[in-house]
Amino acid sequence: MAAANQDTSRPQNTRAIMTFLREHAPFSSMDDTHLAHFAEHATLRFYADEDVVLSPDDGVVKRFYIVKQGRIRGERHNEKEDRAETTFEISQGECFPLAALIGERPTRTLHRASGDTFCLSIEQKAFITLFSESEPFRDFCLRGVSSLLDQVNQRIQSKAMASIGSSNSLDTPLERYALRNPIVCSPDLPVRKAVARMHENNVGSIIITDDNRHPKGIFTLRDLRTMIAEERGPLDTPIRQVMTADPCCLPSTADAFEAAMLMAEHHFAHLCVVDEENHLIGVVSERDLFSLQRVDLVNLARTIGTATHLRTLVSLRTDVSRLVDSMLAHGADSGQVVKIITTLNDVTVRRVLELNLKKNDPGIPFTWLTFGSEGRQEQTLLTDQDNGILFETPEGMTEDQVREKLLPFARKVNDELAECGFTLCKGNIMASNPKLCLSDREWDDWFVRFIDASTPQNLVYSSIFLDMRSVFGPTEPLHRLLEKVLDRIRKNALFQKMLAGNALQRKPPLTMFRNFRYLNDEKKHSLDLKRQGLAPFVESVRVFALAHGVEAANTLERMDALSRKGVFDAKDANAWKEAYSLIQAIRMRAHQEMLDRGEELTNYIDPDDLNPLDRRILRESFRQAQRLQQKLEVTYQL
Amino acid sequence: MLDYIKQWLAQRRGGAVGNHDPENLPTPKTVSDQPLTRCRLIVLDLETTGLNASKDEVIAIGAVAIEGGVIHLNDQFDLILRRPELDIRETVLIHGIGPEALTQGHETEDALLYLLEWMNGDPILAYHSAFDQKFLEKTLKAQLGYTIPHVWMDVAELLPAIFPKAETKGRSLDHWADFFKLEVSERHHAAADALVTAELTLMALNRAQKNGVKNLKELAEKLHYQRRLQNMHRY
Repeated sequence: MAAANQDTSRPQNTRAIMTFLREHAPFSSMDDTHLAHFAEHATLRFYADEDVVLSPDDGVVKRFYIVKQGRIRGERHNEKEDRAETTFEISQGECFPLAALIGERPTRTLHRASGDTFCLSIEQKAFITLFSESEPFRDFCLRGVSSLLDQVNQRIQSKAMASIGSSNSLDTPLERYALRNPIVCSPDLPVRKAVARMHENNVGSIIITDDNRHPKGIFTLRDLRTMIAEERGPLDTPIRQVMTADPCCLPSTADAFEAAMLMAEHHFAHLCVVDEENHLIGVVSERDLFSLQRVDLVNLARTIGTATHLRTLVSLRTDVSRLVDSMLAHGADSGQVVKIITTLNDVTVRRVLELNLKKNDPGIPFTWLTFGSEGRQEQTLLTDQDNGILFETPEGMTEDQVREKLLPFARKVNDELAECGFTLCKGNIMASNPKLCLSDREWDDWFVRFIDASTPQNLVYSSIFLDMRSVFGPTEPLHRLLEKVLDRIRKNALFQKMLAGNALQRKPPLTMFRNFRYLNDEKKHSLDLKRQGLAPFVESVRVFALAHGVEAANTLERMDALSRKGVFDAKDANAWKEAYSLIQAIRMRAHQEMLDRGEELTNYIDPDDLNPLDRRILRESFRQAQRLQQKLEVTYQL
Repeated sequence: MLDYIKQWLAQRRGGAVGNHDPENLPTPKTVSDQPLTRCRLIVLDLETTGLNASKDEVIAIGAVAIEGGVIHLNDQFDLILRRPELDIRETVLIHGIGPEALTQGHETEDALLYLLEWMNGDPILAYHSAFDQKFLEKTLKAQLGYTIPHVWMDVAELLPAIFPKAETKGRSLDHWADFFKLEVSERHHAAADALVTAELTLMALNRAQKNGVKNLKELAEKLHYQRRLQNMHRY
């Protein structure tokens, strides 16, 4: 009763403001007395569209604002292009300017109203009172606006931690792992003595180094087993004859994720860690990386990579899904998870190819290409086959003769991949299509036609064929092809402009008023995260990457490369990478939930199902996509 | 609790409880050339028992002050009057406050004195101000014998004059609030209506200043001109 009494004792307008505040963080977790303090000390201000709210010229910031209605945008002057750029947007219920107010300095960004805007504002004195008395408010202010992203990650992870209880992140640099002093020997040591040394130290591997402590080879218990089983020689054979030469090495600054990926790709359980001069400083084993996590990536990759039957491969696909689940639960970021999915998919594709080669080798060397999302290493669980073959025509054969041998083989591989869960491509973009099983010369011609004689129609294929990667077979032929293709695109401004125009076809789903723009009446509240959310990033970044000779196909790697080349401002590149990854993360979580419910996977989500924080982040991410598209518009004057 | 109310009352009236000086009430100001960015304006809304000023009575007074182009929420007036004809107890009930406040026994006279002191003679704006003006002046005269006129300005007139192109669906306060997507926390609550009226006023003042209107005098002239223009159209 007391509380109700107290509430009604406040004037109507004070109560109304408190109600408004309660709908937004951090006010939603603050006490009523503090909210009342805010409401009673607030002023209400109006700014018409384009009015300046706060300016760096106003001096030290003395007020704290919250948007009651409308929007505020932050404006930064772009010196290169001499025009104003929007750096952030603040919408209803959001606060500003935190950093400047706490740092007791002028704001660095011009704050301008976007549309008719009302702000509630309190003076520094009232702000300090709240800051010192309300813990949620203080936390919020100190952590700043950027902490929103942390909050999401924290929430995802804390959920997972509760059930799994691990705190080892895959971002941890290798140097932070307790690198055991590696057991080493020289190349001439007999195997018997090397094994004795391993036994004494109770380890499963020994590194063979030269006099300068450069790793030359590795010998493991498994190698010993093979050596004895296959009777490769007596135990006094010098170890250099039976070791695995040129062991995989990583610098100590590499993180656990890279190590895990490398292990998964090559199916070995140990990696040498070296310093800048390639001196051995330690060994990391699969067990070290995953002792705290139950993520069995390496083991799964190995099981896939050594499976002897198609049906084993098919059954392992459910393990992949389970692994993704567990990775997401461990708080692995979406970039890592898509890479893991891609790696496991690659391993599966390779194994299907190897098994078919064993049964029925067409006898012609080839490179197995993947296109589109797999080419970009951005596959999620919902995946199509987009593949092709690149071959070098052997002496004395025509290209058609080669195709005659390769196509039936490719057909079989496509079918078996379909059994493994890689849906057959509806557009027949598959290696068994004679148009996509081509020699190096034919591919080159194909790209010449694609680039020089492109029409808006065939540009539809740009998202597929311009994101290309080899999965199996020699990589050099593809590299040579890519160099020519990139060179041609770099010199063809018209093609670039057409690509740019094409990339602007898909707009992020935001209305002018920064609400979500829904697909259509039928799907009233759904957004297509792939086509509306990710595609604007992928396609815009592709244009910049191809125009600047970036060979990578992965969108995040392309952005890194563009930032290094100075095409993207480093801060922009970071914001875009983050936004892209967050949309991807939300998409993958949705997929995982659909799997749990036994539903068919789609890319549609209803933003109303998201919590307010995710909704806000999704909105901000879409806005970043708009900014990237604006850059494309300006660059190509579209 | 009691202390809180006392403090709250004091804040609203700027004086001690039950201690007014009817002889020294602030003098109403004239339309001045003080810049819009500096002057204080009262935005007021009354709730009454009906529309007939000769018969009906004021039940509630809500008002906020605009000062320097900003609404100060610590400078507002939110009272429900219980008139003897309408209620057995001849008291002023501060809206929602419990029995403690009742025992304080604030009378209508007191409330009106607070209001006059709080308004400090500043110009009063209201939506369809003729209505509020008639009721308030009648009440002031009947209860306090107070007859000095304040400057009144009609927001219902101000808005179309400043936003001639706004296509509202009608001429009521609700129509304007809808047009600018303003939220009314509790419709027909005097204080909530006063706040929305004040928000609309802020928008109008912002635009007026951009159109070169610098002070209240110029604004009054603009309204006057607008009224003549409309009358001309009528004939």
